[in-house]
Amino acid sequence: MTNSIGASDARSALTTVEYSRQQVIAEIDMPRWYWLGLAAGWIGMGVVTDFGPGWLALVAAPVFGATHAALAHRVLSGRRRSTQLSVRAELAGTHIPALVIGFLVGLVGVTIAAGLLLDADGARHPAVIASGIAAAAVAVGGPELMAAVRRRALRNPSL
Amino acid sequence: MIEPRFDELIHPSTRLSIVALLAAADWIDFAFVRDRLELSDSALSKQFATLEDAGYIVVERPLANRRRRVRVRLTDSGRHAFDGHVAALHEIVASADPTAAT
Repeated sequence: MTNSIGASDARSALTTVEYSRQQVIAEIDMPRWYWLGLAAGWIGMGVVTDFGPGWLALVAAPVFGATHAALAHRVLSGRRRSTQLSVRAELAGTHIPALVIGFLVGLVGVTIAAGLLLDADGARHPAVIASGIAAAAVAVGGPELMAAVRRRALRNPSL
Repeated sequence: MIEPRFDELIHPSTRLSIVALLAAADWIDFAFVRDRLELSDSALSKQFATLEDAGYIVVERPLANRRRRVRVRLTDSGRHAFDGHVAALHEIVASADPTAAT
């Protein structure tokens, strides 16, 4: 079929296409409950470590990890922030789960290091303080991480 | 390699917006498209019916939380037509201004 439009109309149509793409990219995210729940769980771990018996801390860590795995697997792709759409993997990228897990593993390291330093410094509740720092990083850094993913998707004209 | 093919059915602004949204997603809820494009239910239904008749989209009605949802997805044929249409648009722009080709 031959086209019957001029370059100006074509440009306008391409702008429409790009705007639609941006609207879907804006949906690349993880639900707020994920980050807030994770931050709350992190603080809970710190409280258990400082105030609970030793065995409880040993049990809490794998329970926390298992609970996270069970709840996160559906949202970790970053493509299902809401129940209203599923963003195409080609658009969101397939690296989001690895990025988020890497971020969390890094924060586990930061929490342990901060806890040990605070303990050595004589802090009364080193685990609570360290986990509070990590929880703040999760609550603020998690959404920022996803914002960076969206910015990257916007720069990728492959779709 | 995508063959540029101008598609008269997709090109009207509203349908182009709908198909472009669907092209970026695996599936989209009816309400999402309606709200983003600020269309009435009936206006959007008509556009969907046109695209469905052309074989460009599939409308599904899964049951979720005891509520009937309306989900729409682009078919392979629809995606092929959209990709070809976008390529044709780029070609038109490039032919008018070769230095602006992307």
